[in-house]
Amino acid sequence: MRHNFIDRYAALDSPLHVLEPRTKLLGFTALIVAVLCIPLDKGRLFIAYFFAAAILMGISQIPLGYILGRTLVILPFIVLASLAAPWKGYAGIGFLFVRAVLCLMMLILLTNTTRFVELLRGLRKLGCPQILVMNLGFLYRYLFVLTEEAMRMKQARDCRRVGRAPFREELKILSSMMGTLLIRSFERAERMHSAMLSRGYTGDFPVVSPKKFSWHDFLFLDGVTLFIALTFVLR
Amino acid sequence: MDFSGRMVPVMGVLAAFVFAAQMLNFPILGGTSGHLVGGTLLAILLGPMAGFLTMSTVVIAQALFLQDGGLVALGANVFNICAVTCFSGYAIFRSLGGGSSGGKRLALIGFIAGWASLLFSSACCALEIGISGAIPLRIGLSTMVGYHMVVGIIEGMLTAGVLTFLFKVRPDLMKINGPGRFGLADWVGSVVLVVIPFTILVLAGSSKLPDPLEKLLAVSPLLPTGAGADRLYSSTRYMDYLIRAAVFVVLIGLGILAGFLGRRRSSRP
Repeated sequence: MRHNFIDRYAALDSPLHVLEPRTKLLGFTALIVAVLCIPLDKGRLFIAYFFAAAILMGISQIPLGYILGRTLVILPFIVLASLAAPWKGYAGIGFLFVRAVLCLMMLILLTNTTRFVELLRGLRKLGCPQILVMNLGFLYRYLFVLTEEAMRMKQARDCRRVGRAPFREELKILSSMMGTLLIRSFERAERMHSAMLSRGYTGDFPVVSPKKFSWHDFLFLDGVTLFIALTFVLR
Repeated sequence: MDFSGRMVPVMGVLAAFVFAAQMLNFPILGGTSGHLVGGTLLAILLGPMAGFLTMSTVVIAQALFLQDGGLVALGANVFNICAVTCFSGYAIFRSLGGGSSGGKRLALIGFIAGWASLLFSSACCALEIGISGAIPLRIGLSTMVGYHMVVGIIEGMLTAGVLTFLFKVRPDLMKINGPGRFGLADWVGSVVLVVIPFTILVLAGSSKLPDPLEKLLAVSPLLPTGAGADRLYSSTRYMDYLIRAAVFVVLIGLGILAGFLGRRRSSRP
């Protein structure tokens, strides 16, 4: 089974990839907040931000088609959301749309230039609670395992039945599948806990951190700050 | 609650379970399909606190890594989707006596808890949007709650189905949280997340009462007052919303139709 891994291009080696995860988290969050702060009558500023996003995309070496594909997947939701927001007239629809696409590109860049584990480490270092970071780590590790299990169950169901069962039956089948998946998840968690204990788990995860804060990070953060400041001053 | 020992892997894996369970979508009319949100289910199985944390993990992961839901709206999403569904669903389940029942009764209570939790969640969302002044409260509330009244049926049925299945197959898992008494968290949850939204729902649902509510909101410092507020509720804006709502409905209808046609074609041998 092929999975659409979240950090598919995180193993590349580009100036964006070598940055410390904290730098990227802060930098991209700042860019997103700056995009959201653009007032309605300063629509021209979006061009500057698209330019910045294009430069970052070029640096990151991630195939452009991949980024556009990821954006396309979420585009229908954005269109619906911007249509549903009766906000500052019809120009607002386009405004909201462009804004969402820009934020989307920034996020795709962030998650695809950083390994998931490193991103979690960055979040932890930035003060995100340990339990949340651990939950996210487990979620990522077992997401694909459980999804595969779910897909196998679905395939088995589709092989066994012909056509569609009545509504009640269909519902019963589906809830048994979910229940089974739930029980298997619980049992997996039991095994994981035993494995963690036998490996000396004491409530904290040791992490190997190969990346250090270096001049790259200063350069990136300075660049981002300068860019945002410029767009605010020159608008 | 002990978040250091056994609960850690359980919460993490159940967060992944919610993701995986959403792959098992359920065909409803035409090509649309509904899937489990899972807040109530998790709250019943793990207790409201752990359920809330697990759901938050799911929502954060969706926002960060699937770019779905938004980074800046994360706070609102965590409150609406996680806090409200988990606490209200759990409170309803407990106050109806779901912890000590089985069979048909358990299914019914599970259904009500799952269905109502989505209702409260959508009502809270509409209320937040109303306070922010983007969409008038009356329109937002009726649209959101009306939509989720229908969508919530799936959530309710799946919650009930999974609970019944678990009760039959592994009743020991149902006791993971212990029969327990109705603790402080349950009371706070039920008052803040059930009674208050319910009052607002009743207020907004009856035809005469929304006016005092909107007035109350209008005098609150959070809302734009004066000219801005007038513009917000003026009739031309009203027409604008209606037109947009119509476009919205037509688009959704087209989507359902397209899905239906696609389904017909794919199910042909």
